[in-house]
Amino acid sequence: MIAENPGTSPWRLLKESQSRPASILVMEDCNMHSAASILASVKEQEARFERLTRALEQERRHVALQLERAQQPGVGSGGVGSGQPLSMAWQQLVLQEQSPGSQASLVAMPEAPEVLEETVTVEEDPGTPTSHVSIVTSEDGTTRRTETKVTKTVKTVTTRTVRQVPVGPDGLPLLDGGPLLGPFADGPLDRHFLLRGGGPAATLSRAYLSSGGTFPDSPEPHEVPNYGSLSRGLGVRPPRGGPLGPGPGDGCFTLPGHRETFPVGPEPVLPAGRSQPERFQAEPYGLEDDTRSLAADDEGGADLQPDCGTTARRRPDCGRGLRTRACEDGADDGGELREERPLFPAATAPLAQPERGSLGSLDRAVRRSPSVDSARKEPRWRDPELPEVLAMLRHPVDPVKANAAAYLQHLCFENEGIKRRVRQLRGLPLLVALLDHPRAEVRRRACGALRNLSYGRDTDNKAAIRDCGGVPALVRLLRAARDNEVRELVTGTLWNLSSYEPLKMVIIDHGLQTLTHEVIVPHSGWEREPNEDSKPRDAEWTTVFKNTSGCLRNVSSDGAEARRRLRECEGLVDALLHALQSAVGRKDTDNKSVENCVCIMRNLSYHVHKEVPGAERYQEADPGPPGSAAGPQRRRRDDASCFGGKKAKGKKDGEMDRNFDTLDLPKRTEAAKGFELLYQPEVVRLYLSLLTESRNFNTLEAAAGALQNLSAGSWMWATYIRATVRKERGLPVLVELLQSETDKVVRAVAIALRNLSLDRRNKDLIGSYAMAELVRNVRSAQAQLRPGARLEEDTVVAVLNTIHEIVSDSLDNARSLLQAHGVPALVALGAASQSVREAKAASHVLQTLWSYKDLRGALQKEGWTKARFQSAAANAKGAKGTPSPGGFDDSTLPLGDKSLEGEKPGSRDVLPMEALGPDGYSTVDRRERRARGSDPAGGSSEKEPLKTEPSRKAPPPGPSRPAVRLVDAVGDSKPQPVDSWV
Amino acid sequence: MRGNSRRPRLSPSSPGVKTRRFCTHGRQRECVKQRVEIHKLRQGENLILGFSIGGGIDQDPSQNPFSEDKTDKGIYVTRVSEGGPAEIAGLQIGDKIMQVNGWDMTMVTHDQARKRLTKRSEEVVRLLVTRQSLQKAVQQSMLS
Repeated sequence: MIAENPGTSPWRLLKESQSRPASILVMEDCNMHSAASILASVKEQEARFERLTRALEQERRHVALQLERAQQPGVGSGGVGSGQPLSMAWQQLVLQEQSPGSQASLVAMPEAPEVLEETVTVEEDPGTPTSHVSIVTSEDGTTRRTETKVTKTVKTVTTRTVRQVPVGPDGLPLLDGGPLLGPFADGPLDRHFLLRGGGPAATLSRAYLSSGGTFPDSPEPHEVPNYGSLSRGLGVRPPRGGPLGPGPGDGCFTLPGHRETFPVGPEPVLPAGRSQPERFQAEPYGLEDDTRSLAADDEGGADLQPDCGTTARRRPDCGRGLRTRACEDGADDGGELREERPLFPAATAPLAQPERGSLGSLDRAVRRSPSVDSARKEPRWRDPELPEVLAMLRHPVDPVKANAAAYLQHLCFENEGIKRRVRQLRGLPLLVALLDHPRAEVRRRACGALRNLSYGRDTDNKAAIRDCGGVPALVRLLRAARDNEVRELVTGTLWNLSSYEPLKMVIIDHGLQTLTHEVIVPHSGWEREPNEDSKPRDAEWTTVFKNTSGCLRNVSSDGAEARRRLRECEGLVDALLHALQSAVGRKDTDNKSVENCVCIMRNLSYHVHKEVPGAERYQEADPGPPGSAAGPQRRRRDDASCFGGKKAKGKKDGEMDRNFDTLDLPKRTEAAKGFELLYQPEVVRLYLSLLTESRNFNTLEAAAGALQNLSAGSWMWATYIRATVRKERGLPVLVELLQSETDKVVRAVAIALRNLSLDRRNKDLIGSYAMAELVRNVRSAQAQLRPGARLEEDTVVAVLNTIHEIVSDSLDNARSLLQAHGVPALVALGAASQSVREAKAASHVLQTLWSYKDLRGALQKEGWTKARFQSAAANAKGAKGTPSPGGFDDSTLPLGDKSLEGEKPGSRDVLPMEALGPDGYSTVDRRERRARGSDPAGGSSEKEPLKTEPSRKAPPPGPSRPAVRLVDAVGDSKPQPVDSWV
Repeated sequence: MRGNSRRPRLSPSSPGVKTRRFCTHGRQRECVKQRVEIHKLRQGENLILGFSIGGGIDQDPSQNPFSEDKTDKGIYVTRVSEGGPAEIAGLQIGDKIMQVNGWDMTMVTHDQARKRLTKRSEEVVRLLVTRQSLQKAVQQSMLS
């Protein structure tokens, strides 16, 4: 019922949130680069991120290697020593390089999680650029494909280096096989060393780096573009760093934990016999092992390349002119980042604890020497604190905002505590403000966060969103948004909000028009000016439609004013009807959207005879239908557009209707539209179709409730509806539903039958055919011993009231009750029931029964005495006083009504049939709340799973099936799939 | 209280009912059929008959609510608009259309049937229809 974040799992969310930054980058860079180069570099970045993830994985596994090394300083230094000349040179290089490298890794890390879900194919084509294709399947099922070109040359070089520096290149197992980007890997690794091994670690790390430094040997053709992408990556860092939280969201979650376990776990991985340098080397390269494509060494090389792609490539330059290069790099970076750089300081500012915050530390770390840097790096894996995340929402860099919001959405998922804290920290106004942000990405993220925040039984968040103007902002966004995902998010949020009473009217005020015209009407397939020649469009059951209809369903239960607004909202009723008809036509009546639509219709039908403008004209006193003639055409059109094949069934016995139907249906001069459609007899067929076909008990209940609402009241239309239900063979359908195992369906049907029996003919028919079923329900009401089987009190009372209504003024029906062995059941219920209302209602029926003098003989013959009836009644009366203060003794009114009124003082003024009215609309609302409460964890908006338990409709009926007799032949058949007017 | 008959009963006086052996495509079957002559109604540019058809050899016959034999791919009257030409002519929901102006309708696609019925050049359509209720009525009268 309540929409929640569609991403069912937090991971997915994360993934999504992380996948975005890449695109953000693109956008930013767009300003300065040609599209082509940007695209290329972005692709490369993505590939790199991906590799990094793998590298991380690998790292995790092989940290042990490092550790071991670290603990053996001698070896470590020896290793370094062996490559001394080189290492010296490289140390410098490292100093220069380290920063970019670590930066890169920092930047990249957040991406890791996303990458985890990617499929990577590495195609190797020596001599030609290798393309790395990664396919990201995102949450919505769409697939994003990215391709990165890497040259093989580079790859080869890398591999060679690796083997060289370590001792036994080939001796190394897979670990080595996956060549690695030193720089990337070393970020984390270094850190590790420092933490674990202290001094030696530092050296080691340097050594390690230097080994990586061999790269430079290879000339790098692609250097420039790669470089570019790297620097871009760096530039992006701030955004990334900010939300580091999110990206890291994943990274953070997993990595820190892994780290800690490393010291212990990974050890075994190391082959004891290995020489240390080797191992050491192995690590970085080993990281790549993880990737499936890396199984082969060559591929490993290929993979490696992209990873370190930028760094490694840059190396060569550095190797030749280390410092200069580095400087140039820096300069280049600056150039590229110009836009972003200046923001850095600002970026750190919002962080509550910059020194610990990812952003701040990142920034600093980048400029630090490797050792210091590594020492400082550890904290950056920490999750950002909530206040930090919220602060990031104000970050001047848009992607930071977006990512922070995405992270927030992730945090809030199924976490009431966080939701509360976000509110307390005043995060909601920030998010609401972002809904109007110029950047689509930011808007979307903010909305996603709001949706999660607005979900749940905690109404304070909903209120807070309202208080900061959230509803109008959401509606504005909906109006502006063309992106389907955003629309889903907005409508989902509104759906969540709409379950909170005080917000309903607010949503109506701000959103009704927009929701109707932006979503309901277009998705329903309804056309204002239908093209007679073309087939009517079908409704599309999109998520947006589902969310929106759910929202309207909630707000439609807000009371008379809400109903009035919805009824008068142009096109709404028409569209809903059209959607439902289309559902019936396609036999797709079990889904949530249909349920929502029917519930809205039912709510709007409530009290329609009192609330609709001009209702007075139709009050029963004046049965004359307005207008006349001109029927055929209009009728034809209605039929064609509105009711699917279903109608055919009803009409089959048209002659029969003519035979005894004394009631002329009103003919209208023009087609009904808007709220008039609610109570046109034509809708009966629709509801009956739903009752026949749907397996969704909420839909069943709502459809029965709609008929109940429509058949109540004393106005002309109710009379027509009652007759139409009969003529459309609705009575058997309803009677059959009395067997439903869903309590509320039974209740709604029972009450509907009761209202319908106001029609004399209906009463006769119901009396003869529904009595057995009603009595069966009474009997099962006494099956208290089996907890699940017992009907709820409301239902029992409803059934009893229906029986009462049927037997009143109808000797034949009273006789039917007798024949159905209703008397023992009623007496037993009256005696045994714990419920005062039940006992009272039962005794009332008995009293009525006794009042038929003609029956007394039969009753006495069966051994019943007057005392039995009277006493039962007396008992009931005695007991009744307390719960229902209402004037119960008034025998002209069926007692059930009274008791119900007593229960719901609010509906006192209602006509008898609607005394049951709380059902008429409030059930929907009640149910929502229940659902929300009971399912706090749900991640999707599908809060109420359609329990497809075959309701009792499906199983074969008992031997005495009144329903069967009520319908002949046609009853169970299905409508034609195709049928054409001629 | 069951005073009124609830079952649709064909009034025996229904005009134009003839009983005769009717052979549908090889399958020997007794059918009661009725001729129905419908004068199309001009509605704007269109000539309408005021009923709708379902079925056809390209349709799923098991979905046909009106056929007794669920493999029957015939064309059936699925809806009749109130007061429309078809209703006036006595066409009823559930009628199976055997012929249209002499053309066989028992082995045609849905669309073919539709086209045959909606020829603009024809102002009058003569249908040969059969209906279960007719058959039942006849059978009953023969039994009794």
